[in-house]
Amino acid sequence: MKRIQDVSEEEIKDLYYPTMCKVTKARQITSMEKWYELEMPASQDLGHGPGQFVEVSAFGIGEAPISISSSPSQKGSFELCIRQVGTLTNVLKNYGEGDSIGIRGPFGTGYPMESLLGKDILIIAGGIGLVPLRSLIHYVLDKREEFGRLIILYGAKNPSELLFKEELSDWEARDDVELHLTVDQADDTWTGNTGVITTLIPELDLNLNMTIAAITGPPIMYKFVIMSLKSKQLQDDHIYVSLERRMKCGVGKCGHCQINGVYCCQDGPVFNYSDIKPLREAL
Amino acid sequence: MECYSLLRTDVPDLIDHLGAYGEIVAPHSKGDVSYSFEVVQDSNKVVLDYDRTLLPLKKMFLPPQEKLMDFSLKSLSYTPIKLHIKPRVFFAIHSYEMQSILRLDHSMLSGQAESNYLRRRKKSRFIGISFKPDEFHFSESVGIPIEEMEGFDLYLNEVDGDYQLYVLTKNGHSLIEGFEKIKTAEPEIAEDRKFNKKIRFHYNRLPQVFQYAYHSEIWAEVASRCVGCGSCTLTCPTCFCFDVKDEVTVTAESGMRQRSWDSCMLSTFAEIAGGENFREKTINRTRHRLYRKFKYITDEEGLPWCVGCGRCTAFCPAEISLPDILNDLINEDEKAQHHHQVMA
Repeated sequence: MKRIQDVSEEEIKDLYYPTMCKVTKARQITSMEKWYELEMPASQDLGHGPGQFVEVSAFGIGEAPISISSSPSQKGSFELCIRQVGTLTNVLKNYGEGDSIGIRGPFGTGYPMESLLGKDILIIAGGIGLVPLRSLIHYVLDKREEFGRLIILYGAKNPSELLFKEELSDWEARDDVELHLTVDQADDTWTGNTGVITTLIPELDLNLNMTIAAITGPPIMYKFVIMSLKSKQLQDDHIYVSLERRMKCGVGKCGHCQINGVYCCQDGPVFNYSDIKPLREAL
Repeated sequence: MECYSLLRTDVPDLIDHLGAYGEIVAPHSKGDVSYSFEVVQDSNKVVLDYDRTLLPLKKMFLPPQEKLMDFSLKSLSYTPIKLHIKPRVFFAIHSYEMQSILRLDHSMLSGQAESNYLRRRKKSRFIGISFKPDEFHFSESVGIPIEEMEGFDLYLNEVDGDYQLYVLTKNGHSLIEGFEKIKTAEPEIAEDRKFNKKIRFHYNRLPQVFQYAYHSEIWAEVASRCVGCGSCTLTCPTCFCFDVKDEVTVTAESGMRQRSWDSCMLSTFAEIAGGENFREKTINRTRHRLYRKFKYITDEEGLPWCVGCGRCTAFCPAEISLPDILNDLINEDEKAQHHHQVMA
């Protein structure tokens, strides 16, 4: 039990005040998503790890947890990519270059980068799930020689919803990235794979001892992707998932993000699958 | 431990004496049948014999609504709220209530320490009082006797209509310094207090019961009666979940960010943008509430996070009884155990 006597009044830190960050670039990248580059005051670093999130403030509306989309290896700025799905995100759409956005964080537990060194990284992103995984992808690309293969599976509903198209082309062109794209519904321009993301998994040639899978996507996706990976004999503790919950406070207090007894904003949003497998509310 | 005798008629004088330390908060009558913790204006109005207040003492540390900041929509900037908390004495507090504050301390200090809670909590003094259990109290079953004095600076034990005052801490000692209407006494034990409501198992066996209760049909039965109003969590002294909302003035030029108590029993509590709801059905939520009280934190800390105050049961409009749910789960567990033994 933690006791009140154990904390001195000088140690008390305010938790709910955002830091105002300047938008240095902003671009609507699909009909639903807008991308922002932000700068902390005095060009400080945000100090995050891949997989962490921030609470984004829009005064008059409130706050929402948003994944950090850039790698910590990028200095002086960080990036967010926000889908317009609610009141707050629809207000944020109106923010552009020169505006200030309130940020709290970074919060949560991201990927354990130390233990991923030397491993083959298998990224499995569904839809907007690419946004948090992009932080991990860029981190691996920036320290390319410290990791094994980088395999990226990315699926969207249709070609127009694919995010970061220029980067996808760059990754496609690289010899040291294995990119596999799929869409649920093709259009006239699409020449690639059609079908849900699990259709990309059977053909993968994986070195099981070396491979770490990182999965992020809509809630429905996890069970099926994990089933496919299990049928390839990938072990539970080689699988990481990043879970979306309503992380309102970010500091393990408000209760909205609880998954059984676990606070998603503290122990997650990135979890090792072997840790959350016993939690019935997780997947 | 020092023990003094104190006449019931001298209690208002004691309250006045304590006023030298700071603001005094104590139970008051509210209407004919309800009680509430309020700041004392007149020490004669403090109620010494009460079953339970509607809202728990947590409201003094985590207010039902609390402004976090003012903001301007013109300049897109904000002004923090600075808290100035007077020293406070909480008077005539029952042991389960004190235990709930000690549990809240743990919850608020875990992870990042909750700043406003701590500021409100730091200069507090607590004076306990004994009570006669009614048909809802079951604190003894969760390990909290009436005379549990942990957390108190002073404790008033009623014996034959008057009180014995126990001095438990240095702070307690300074509180009564100079108060002359007490006399040194030998501690006596009051015998006429029995709990009517009991949990059939010792509380340390409950996590085991909950281990196998997740798919019990009892949850569906409870959920079928629950109206989802959230009274149980709002009146629970160890529940602390909250929501944060912005309010804008009519001119739309400024506003404030405010947090308010929230409830995991409300249907949208675990909903995310886009509509996905991770505890969509009532059954998910009734179960979650009890697992929060008897399993999740209990596994870590070895204590039930329910203090047996009986509020959730006494104030439930659907007459759902928490100890009855526990006893039903225990009965079911025993039947399953018996079945295993017969099969073996």
